[in-house]
Amino acid sequence: MAALPRRIIKETQRLMQEPVPGISAVPDDSNARYFHVIVTGPEDSPFEGGLFKLELFLPEDYPMSAPKVRFITKIYHPNIDRLGRICLDILKDKWSPALQIRTVLLSIQALLSAPNPDDPLANDVAELWKVNESEAIRNAKEWTRRYAMDN
Amino acid sequence: MLRYILSFLRIIATKMLQLLSSRKHLIENVLRIYIKTTSGSTLSIEIDPKYDIKQIKNLVASKIGAQPEELKIIFAGKELGDNIIIEECDLGQQSILHAVKIKRNVPTDQSSSKMKPLCEILDDEMFSSNITNSRSNSFSTDNEVINISNSVMLENSTIRSKKIHFYVYCPTCKDLKQGKLRVRCHFCKSGAFTVHADPQNWIHVLEPKQITGTCENNPELCKDILQNKEPTFAEFYFKCSEHISLGETDQAVPLDLIRPNLKQIQCMACLDTSDTIFAFPCPDDHVMCLDCFKQYCLTKLTERQFWQHPEYGYTLACPTGCPDSFIKEIHHFRLLDDENYNRYHHFAAEEFVLQSNGLLCPQPGCGMGILAEPECTRISCQNCKYVFCRHCRQGFHIGECDVVENNDTAGQNFSCESDMNYNNGNSGELASRTTIKIMTKPCPSCKTPTERDGGCMHMICTRAGCKFHWCWVCQTEWTTECMGDHWFG
Ligand SMILES: [Zn+2]
Ligand SMILES: [Zn+2]
Ligand SMILES: [Zn+2]
Ligand SMILES: [Zn+2]
Ligand SMILES: [Zn+2]
Ligand SMILES: [Zn+2]
Ligand SMILES: [Zn+2]
Ligand SMILES: [Zn+2]
Repeated sequence: MAALPRRIIKETQRLMQEPVPGISAVPDDSNARYFHVIVTGPEDSPFEGGLFKLELFLPEDYPMSAPKVRFITKIYHPNIDRLGRICLDILKDKWSPALQIRTVLLSIQALLSAPNPDDPLANDVAELWKVNESEAIRNAKEWTRRYAMDN
Repeated sequence: MLRYILSFLRIIATKMLQLLSSRKHLIENVLRIYIKTTSGSTLSIEIDPKYDIKQIKNLVASKIGAQPEELKIIFAGKELGDNIIIEECDLGQQSILHAVKIKRNVPTDQSSSKMKPLCEILDDEMFSSNITNSRSNSFSTDNEVINISNSVMLENSTIRSKKIHFYVYCPTCKDLKQGKLRVRCHFCKSGAFTVHADPQNWIHVLEPKQITGTCENNPELCKDILQNKEPTFAEFYFKCSEHISLGETDQAVPLDLIRPNLKQIQCMACLDTSDTIFAFPCPDDHVMCLDCFKQYCLTKLTERQFWQHPEYGYTLACPTGCPDSFIKEIHHFRLLDDENYNRYHHFAAEEFVLQSNGLLCPQPGCGMGILAEPECTRISCQNCKYVFCRHCRQGFHIGECDVVENNDTAGQNFSCESDMNYNNGNSGELASRTTIKIMTKPCPSCKTPTERDGGCMHMICTRAGCKFHWCWVCQTEWTTECMGDHWFG
């Protein structure tokens, strides 16, 4: 494998030294491009009290291409599909090499605080979120309790 | 005996080598330059770079039968003073100086002895500020700058006193090189031209008719060319500083966004601070090192994310999404290697065809752009002779398009089993054609082949000008039904 670019080393160091509140991102022992991420559910959101595991991978041409991020912990959210893929513009066409792992994780945290069922990527969760928000929030809380609170 | 001859030969060989190397040493100290006179003749002279202009005048005067005091020597927009040493001017081998005979016997202007050629007068202050950077005054009040320690400020000021570098794409060297700024008469293109003022920014250099001057080649004609409606203007151009000048028509394209990193700004991608940077044309100091810029171009090219700009051509903007930040001079993409620069051209041509409502030949390896009347359904490719149906891009057929999956929008499905007779098919071509179809499907809106990279059936056309949201399964626009039925396959 090619040497790790200085940019990745710098970002990793900074993530270790000044972690983002509520987020931990640790590189894998065997692959420095693969990060084990834990995001705590934001206060006053249906995900409060949950610990959500994610995986983050920096592709070969990072930072020209966006990191690949996926929720491992099941989550009831209109912008996250059942395989854990996230609908977030900065992970797709709004990606810019000036953005960093840190900004991506912060945006994911923000997405938990403010679900967006009007985003063109939506499913049955989004439908419910629009027609019956209180029931959707109840579901989200239930999933958080069931999948994100044990261990 | 043989040994004797051999050692004798060796001695001769060493002597010859010494001779050659000493000769080479001599040549290195000689500058061959050309002197163009206003009478139209060109003198070729060899000089020592330590000569001053006075000595040049003496040399030229004796050759053209004039008095040294009658001559003006002009180079890069300036009359050179007698005390200027050739070495101080940025002359390369085979550069051209202009000798102009003064009509009236004007006493030597004292100030002219201080005159230096254009390239020497330009210092960093003038060119370091971005043309769009009208905020240069607010620079010092910027919070970030205030925080910079004194030592860094000092360092910056010493950097500022360095000579400016221009970067060019040289068509002769076929590479990015440092360039030299030169000037000539806008009307008659003669280099015997002196400027009235130095250019202060890139607009003065890149846009026509910004700086006035005096044409010494043909003052009467060039002054009166428009019946004095306009002054005589300077025309700036660039030369490559690395190869020996190939004459007056030898020019290089200025790459104005490649600059010395005077403000020591970090590359937004790798976070290194390099000496030479690519500065995006936005006011926010968004820069990349050249390696990252090349990588950025390559990634955007592969993703077909270049834009067809109506004025500039196939280009990119600042990756941070700054408004109006398109790269105007598309020769910057010459930084791509040959193979990818060819791809760039290819994609640009395709994009142009698509924007003109044309079609691309669907044959693998062809992709010829075809402009056909909108009502014409039988399209024939002039390049590979393939004749195909406008709607389904299969071999031309009469009647309905052969649609495999149920589909309300007829003709948007590719069928692998359609009539291959039209391809006068060799099996290898057919095989690759089938693979291409499995891996990619054409965007229903613009027909650009799109690869499916993940599990999601929701496709967004990667072509920058299209961005159509469509469904991999239905090959029509993405709908809520698609989300419910087969979002993940
Ligand atoms: Zn060159
Ligand atoms: Zn002229
Ligand atoms: Zn860089
Ligand atoms: Zn910008
Ligand atoms: Zn063709
Ligand atoms: Zn058809
Ligand atoms: Zn498209
Ligand atoms: Zn569908």
